[in-house]
Amino acid sequence: MNKGYLCLVLHTHLPFVRHPEHEDFLEEDWLYEAITETYIPLILAFERLSNDNVNFRLTMSLTPTLLSMLSDPLLQDRYLRHINKLIELAHKEVERTRWMPEFHHLANMYLTGFYESRNVFERYQRNLVNAFKAFQDAGKIEIITCGATHGYFPLMDVVRPSVKAQVKVAVNQYEKIFARKPAGIWLPECGYNPGQDEILKEAGLRYFFTDSHGVLHATPRPKYGVFAPVYCKSGVACFARDLESSKQVWSSIEGYPGDYYYREFYRDIGFDLDYDYIRPYIHPAGTRINTGIKYYRITGNHEKQPYIPHIAREHAASHAGNFMFNRQRQVEYLYDFLNKKPLIISPYDAELFGHWWYEGVQWLEFLIRKVAFDQDTISMTTPSEYLEQNPRNQVATPSMSSWGWKGYSEMWLQGQNDWFYRHLHGSSERMTELVKVFPETGGLIKRALNQALRELLLAQSSDWAFIMGTGTHTSYAIKRTKDHLLRFTRLYEDIKSNSVDENWLSDIEYKDNIFPEIDYRVHQ
Amino acid sequence: MALLKAIKNKLGALLKKEQRIKPSMDRQKKEIPGTPESVVEQAKFYTPAPPVAQAAGKSVSEDLPWGYGRDKIVLQVRDPWWMHAYWEVSEQTFGRLKAELGDEFYRARRVLRVYDVSQVVFNGSNAHRFFDIHINEYANSWYIDAGSPGRSWCVDLGLLLSNGKFITIVRSNTGSTPLAGPSWITDEEWMIPDDMFNRLYGLGFGLGSSPVKVKGLWEERLKREITSGALSSLSSPVRAAEARSFWLTVNTELIVYGATELNAKVTVQGKSIKLRPDGTFTLRFALPDGKQVIPVKASSSDGQEERTITPIVTRETR
Repeated sequence: MNKGYLCLVLHTHLPFVRHPEHEDFLEEDWLYEAITETYIPLILAFERLSNDNVNFRLTMSLTPTLLSMLSDPLLQDRYLRHINKLIELAHKEVERTRWMPEFHHLANMYLTGFYESRNVFERYQRNLVNAFKAFQDAGKIEIITCGATHGYFPLMDVVRPSVKAQVKVAVNQYEKIFARKPAGIWLPECGYNPGQDEILKEAGLRYFFTDSHGVLHATPRPKYGVFAPVYCKSGVACFARDLESSKQVWSSIEGYPGDYYYREFYRDIGFDLDYDYIRPYIHPAGTRINTGIKYYRITGNHEKQPYIPHIAREHAASHAGNFMFNRQRQVEYLYDFLNKKPLIISPYDAELFGHWWYEGVQWLEFLIRKVAFDQDTISMTTPSEYLEQNPRNQVATPSMSSWGWKGYSEMWLQGQNDWFYRHLHGSSERMTELVKVFPETGGLIKRALNQALRELLLAQSSDWAFIMGTGTHTSYAIKRTKDHLLRFTRLYEDIKSNSVDENWLSDIEYKDNIFPEIDYRVHQ
Repeated sequence: MALLKAIKNKLGALLKKEQRIKPSMDRQKKEIPGTPESVVEQAKFYTPAPPVAQAAGKSVSEDLPWGYGRDKIVLQVRDPWWMHAYWEVSEQTFGRLKAELGDEFYRARRVLRVYDVSQVVFNGSNAHRFFDIHINEYANSWYIDAGSPGRSWCVDLGLLLSNGKFITIVRSNTGSTPLAGPSWITDEEWMIPDDMFNRLYGLGFGLGSSPVKVKGLWEERLKREITSGALSSLSSPVRAAEARSFWLTVNTELIVYGATELNAKVTVQGKSIKLRPDGTFTLRFALPDGKQVIPVKASSSDGQEERTITPIVTRETR
């Protein structure tokens, strides 16, 4: 008999980076790398699990910006160009490493992998959203939504219409793509401020997630800690992260990804090889970048040793076994302690698996298979399924919280990024003003109003504040924030003075083409 | 008495200012935020160098609006202890104040008055308490050390006149700092004994189930997160290079190139290779220590003629 539930959540997000005005754009690689290293490996794992009739349940937030990029024909073409270049490079690597068997078989591994990526990409008509949709329709994964552009809600609370717009635009896009309503939402960065659940309720969302302290510090005290959801007064359920299971994967000390036999993320041939040789495969401006071909294992404090895939794979399997064992013990203990089946919420950034932790997808697949076949203490579930089976839960108000650095808002509100909130909020107020002035309109003004909302949403991405907050390589994040705010400001002024320049508007509609169906009136 | 109070306030404010300065210096010193979550998030945004060419677009030189044309102060909560306020006051408003106050305007101190308005609908005079932060006239934002989790706050930007009178220029929204520990409020229907909750609380943070005291546990967890060094133990060449003060790596590669008839068939070490349209070829090999025998064999398209040339290359590292 099962004594508890495990709910794995993969938060799958990238900010909207699309520059048709440039032939090559470095930051677009974030998407291409994630496709090759995370999204396609996940899809292949889901396919294998389905083909083997393994019962599994995963929750995935696919953010609206990522969905937009995955569905975008320009970026799809560019991904093909990208993977074709990698295939060409891998061919050269197979040749080049002929006298070094320890690298030669790895070069072959990458070559095979890149061909497979291209095949999967073509098989889903170049749109990987089709793959995720198919697994949702088959009842394997529960796809939830996120803020439209991953705006950090606690620092938008003073301009609530913007929070509403983030939620409504996301929900509308989800319905259009997945032909159903999203059951839940991943609040960007798990950022929650009491009362924001009302906005979720209004949009028809039934649940969201917080970090552990969101529920542990809820008022009144949560009777089951983080091991059962609470209902906000609005009736929206709040699920909190379990840190014990989280830290086994995330932590530097106990975490699996630091295993010495796992692949080293930072040793990439884009940096290691002779400049003239690698030149055609790095950035056209000549900047060395990651190619994705990495030959070393983490090794420890010695000179890096070559990567040995089959040993790494065994470690992934044993780590999956260890994770499951610990969840079984955890669930058994809690079941006796609580006199109730506990729910363990384990959320991760999807890009942890594959991109950062190369063996992570293997680990996930081993875990799913072991949970399905090797035990019956825990069963995998999704929040919707859990709420269906356990509709009665305590009512409490979660505490303001995030899963970012120090647990609150400091990552997004500090010396390097605090300057731009006056502009974000000022622009939000202007947007609200425009909606009031133009309750109904058409033609050029309507196009301009819709574009103004797109620009505002794009400026709100938490990613820009995050990158500025890290203090390194911030120029792109600053430029993006400024570009969108400046475009918004010009639109606002042009709309007010009825002098919208159609050529310029067409140009930014073409560049910032996210959310084609947007209706500016959601911002109120 | 009034004077004493004013001095006390001033001292209090000076202290507050000190407190404000310290953490901001910490902020500068701090390393890249080290939660494993943020390390992974950063890895996603990995860019080795700023894309200079692209960043130098036209719009960077344009600038954002100076202001949004209204008197406004916005209060945002950063964490249980700290808040941030930014403001904008128009020249007209200052002009009006100058006209009203005359010379007194220039003698007045620019002040943020922070009110504790927990559980009250604030009307300007019913706060539980307030404290003042003296700021300079050039500041347009401030980090406020409220120091009290679980309270609600409102901030006035104003002028403190030499006679102790306070004039509000603009008043903020209300912000509430979150609790820094579990709530004291329990729910009859979902009652839980204290010792049981304490264990559950530790379990929720992954700190084990020994019935620890709840107080301070959250700070403890935060401390661990920050000092853990996160995933940096995975090491990067950048960090490794910093650890060793001086370093050198040397690798060798061998280029084998040649040419033959356009339609000849060529093998290198028995493996056939593709010629360029002009009959030339280039191969590049990573060259390890040891001896490499590299027979290059060309056969004419009719198979009648054959030539073999065999370079032998030895690498030895000392």
